[in-house]
Amino acid sequence: MSEYSVIGKPTTNVDGAAKVTGEAVYTFDMTLPNMLYGKLLRSPHPHAKIVSIDTSEAEKLPGVKAVITGKDTPGGKYGLWRRFHELADQEVLATTKVRFIGEPVVAVAAISEDIAEKAIDLIKVEYEPLPAVFEPMEAIKDDAPVIHDGFENNINNTRHIEWGDVDEGFKNSDYVREDRFTLFSQHPAYMEVHNTLASYDKGSGRLTVWASTQSPYFLQLGISDALKMREGNVRVIKPHVGGGFGGKNSTMHDSVNAAFLSMKTGRPVKIVFNREEEFTATEHRTAMHLAIKIGLKKDGTILAKEVKIITDGGAYTGLGATTLYLAGTFITFPYKTPNYRYDGVRTYTNKMWASSVRGFGAVPTVYAAETQLDRAAHDLGIDPIEIRRRNAMTPGYEAPGQYMVKSCGILPCIDKMEQRVKEKWTDLSKDEGIGFAAFAYMSGGIFNWIDTPYAFSGAMVKVNIDGTVDLFTQASDIGQGHNTVSVMICAEELGIGVEDIRLHPADTATTLTDLGAWGSRETLMNGNAIKAAAGEVKKVLVEVARMKLGENIVYDLEVKDKRIYLALRPERGFSYYDIVKDAIKRNDGEPIIGIGHYTPHRKGMISPAYGMGIQAVKAKVDRETGQVEVKDVITVHDCGQTINPLGARGQVEGSTQMGLGFGLCEDMLTDNGMVLNPSFVDYKLIRSRDMPQIELIDVPTYDPEGPYGAKEAAEATTAPGAPALANAIYHAVGAEFNSNVLKPEKVLKAIREKEKKGR
Amino acid sequence: MANYRCPCCRKISSDHHDLARHFLGQTDSKHKDWLKTQGLSYAQLITWQVTEFGNKGYDTLAEVLEKEAPKVE
Amino acid sequence: MKKELRFVVNGDSYDIWIEPKTLLVQVLRDELGLKGTRRSCDSGSCCACTVILNGKAVKSCSMLALQANGKEVLTIEGLANGVNLHPIQQAFIDNWAFQCGFCTSGQIMAAKALLDENANPTREEIQRAMDGHLCRCTGYNMITEAIQDAAKRLQGQKLQEAAK
Repeated sequence: MSEYSVIGKPTTNVDGAAKVTGEAVYTFDMTLPNMLYGKLLRSPHPHAKIVSIDTSEAEKLPGVKAVITGKDTPGGKYGLWRRFHELADQEVLATTKVRFIGEPVVAVAAISEDIAEKAIDLIKVEYEPLPAVFEPMEAIKDDAPVIHDGFENNINNTRHIEWGDVDEGFKNSDYVREDRFTLFSQHPAYMEVHNTLASYDKGSGRLTVWASTQSPYFLQLGISDALKMREGNVRVIKPHVGGGFGGKNSTMHDSVNAAFLSMKTGRPVKIVFNREEEFTATEHRTAMHLAIKIGLKKDGTILAKEVKIITDGGAYTGLGATTLYLAGTFITFPYKTPNYRYDGVRTYTNKMWASSVRGFGAVPTVYAAETQLDRAAHDLGIDPIEIRRRNAMTPGYEAPGQYMVKSCGILPCIDKMEQRVKEKWTDLSKDEGIGFAAFAYMSGGIFNWIDTPYAFSGAMVKVNIDGTVDLFTQASDIGQGHNTVSVMICAEELGIGVEDIRLHPADTATTLTDLGAWGSRETLMNGNAIKAAAGEVKKVLVEVARMKLGENIVYDLEVKDKRIYLALRPERGFSYYDIVKDAIKRNDGEPIIGIGHYTPHRKGMISPAYGMGIQAVKAKVDRETGQVEVKDVITVHDCGQTINPLGARGQVEGSTQMGLGFGLCEDMLTDNGMVLNPSFVDYKLIRSRDMPQIELIDVPTYDPEGPYGAKEAAEATTAPGAPALANAIYHAVGAEFNSNVLKPEKVLKAIREKEKKGR
Repeated sequence: MANYRCPCCRKISSDHHDLARHFLGQTDSKHKDWLKTQGLSYAQLITWQVTEFGNKGYDTLAEVLEKEAPKVE
Repeated sequence: MKKELRFVVNGDSYDIWIEPKTLLVQVLRDELGLKGTRRSCDSGSCCACTVILNGKAVKSCSMLALQANGKEVLTIEGLANGVNLHPIQQAFIDNWAFQCGFCTSGQIMAAKALLDENANPTREEIQRAMDGHLCRCTGYNMITEAIQDAAKRLQGQKLQEAAK
């Protein structure tokens, strides 16, 4: 909206100079005086009892300062699903048994990385291998090895969602189809590995921890739970972070072990994972078996949908239980679904656990739903755009007992896409096809499995005598550009410039709690908190201005362009700087301080607001080799009010890269619990040459839940790339797929099968 | 409308399917052991429910609960 | 047994003794404290560690520091002129060509090497030259646009200097 001074204007990154000069400091770059280096000894077995651990040789090695096993630790269990104690199932180090290849058993701190590594090699662990299970359908059986005591059939979590009468819906449908899918995992593959620097203060007994994390608060809870400390005695500071994408929400072994080793040695300890450890022992996308049944009227209207999912959870919970829930909800977006049933189960298996990765719950499920929808549309003779249009949600749509959608731009997005494709992609050459996929995602979750008593986001604004502002907020910029968004919101609210504000982010000791960067929550939730905090300051400024203008003035005052003035008589007003000075004088010399917070109340079961839209992929298939070239992408999205168009575009492009990777080439190959391709050489990611141009069209709406009407942008856009690509291939050569990772050999096989069936 | 209580805890519902849904959402040994006494397997019920379309898991358990769930006055 | 390494980094001469197995990236980051060059992959497959050695872009994680003996290294810290950013750096800022920033130093150094050799590369030439650089955040297009923009700025700068 043109009425804003800052919101909606392309704004360069407030951390720009630091990042382009190499001056930005990541945990990876940090050292402290007298620092030790930590390394972890990891299990070679997917499932085994720990019989004995002999650390004597390692302890004797010169330069080694501490060697710890699980039994040495305070024995606290921790995890993100803290509210349900049995699901907070992680340990600092495995105590009685190991549950996946790569699970840490011993930790060492030494004066150099080399010595720490040598020490690891000197440790002798005796294991008693146990039968292991790697496939969820096997893990659930009565005779499967039990991975966690008390969890028979290895069932970690179940979920059932239902509304309407699905059986009646199918009875009344003209067309019913069932499809089964296998959706494979994906690694978040951020550029900065997991690493933590922990420093224990002997005097106060307090820990200070710097880590590559998406949530300093979650990490504070994880460490304090693990080490049985008071939360307030664990300070977590998040420096710049080299990406997270959902893989850095959980407290991981680098953090808890660096913290505990620091407590034991009385020296700072740093633990840095290598890339192989990243691929083998850190969180990744939840793989699943998915069955989806859809019932449509002749005209393509959805009458009923039924979804059955069994997810491969891996050895612990992480955020995987949330993925199970979101999978069952986002598979319904963005369509009206009058009758719905979902049953999901998350099983433990003897692999590194699966958790949340960008678009969690939506990426695999939307792949299934959107490719099925195209096939159904084909059978019914309905255009793929038209079938989506007919079923699109409208503002105010409610899924009974689950969610409500306030602002909803999916229909105008579909209309715009139809128009744009007609203009832009006029001719298709041989074996070229166009595929569509619609999408939607949350702007932060209403969930409180972390069991926090605090508001979900808090912020504090301090205005100094010279009008400069210090903005304190625990929110995390992990690359998505939230630091810039934070400052923009504060600037807009106070009528000042981005350059007037210094941000103090992500320090649990000095900022009010924020739950971190996941589920696309920062713009809406932290944005609301910042707007509220700045709003408190604005009230003070307006009040002082009102007093100066005269007691009888009841007209509206505008705070803009570094002035506070009468909205109807703009020439009557004061400079922001003068008002600030006055306000501080009138308040006994105290700087102006505003505090704000935000927690979603009564916003349904998922989120206060949903970003949504539709993506189109044009692709060309080589029938001889099975190679697929993604030629062009158009994305039309509704993220409410875009706060920073530069940042939004960047995020849409990045999420599209990840979505296309999920569809085309990212494949975590495992065999009996062992990851076979733990490096960028063998784990294929989309690179510069393979990346198509992406046209982004914004369809603005206004969501009352978000700051200035803003909602999430660009976690939703992780989902449509793969199904739109699969649909493009389907329309190009008729090949159908029931899984992702469409490597050439899979595409060739599907083409041959189609040829056999006859087109 | 009559109300029925879960055989293993205080959950009350007028609908046996609703009770079955509640029952299969419980992971404690009391609930699971009770299924065994009825000749049912928790794993089998859940597997039916999450791999087959329809409500086979809940339907099967609901039928048993119709007989076994005590009525609440 | 340590060996002597004499080289120039960002215009400064260094004379240090190091273990022969030390990688160039380790010397830059750990010995000289130049943390702007990052490491990410441990397999020479991401280019985050790219620096310029005697005018050519190299992966500093994939060569021994002693291979730089007698040579000149330019790292990200050597690009800006005091407080004035290099046109490539400014172009990256103005085109939002980074997000988390962890791969950015490597991207910028490779861009510099490319533009030093080819002042007016096509989009395809840029994509090919930068293909080894892994970026998980951006989707690459905005980086390509930044490099195209940087090429224009550098040409403009050259013209200004020629006119003087």
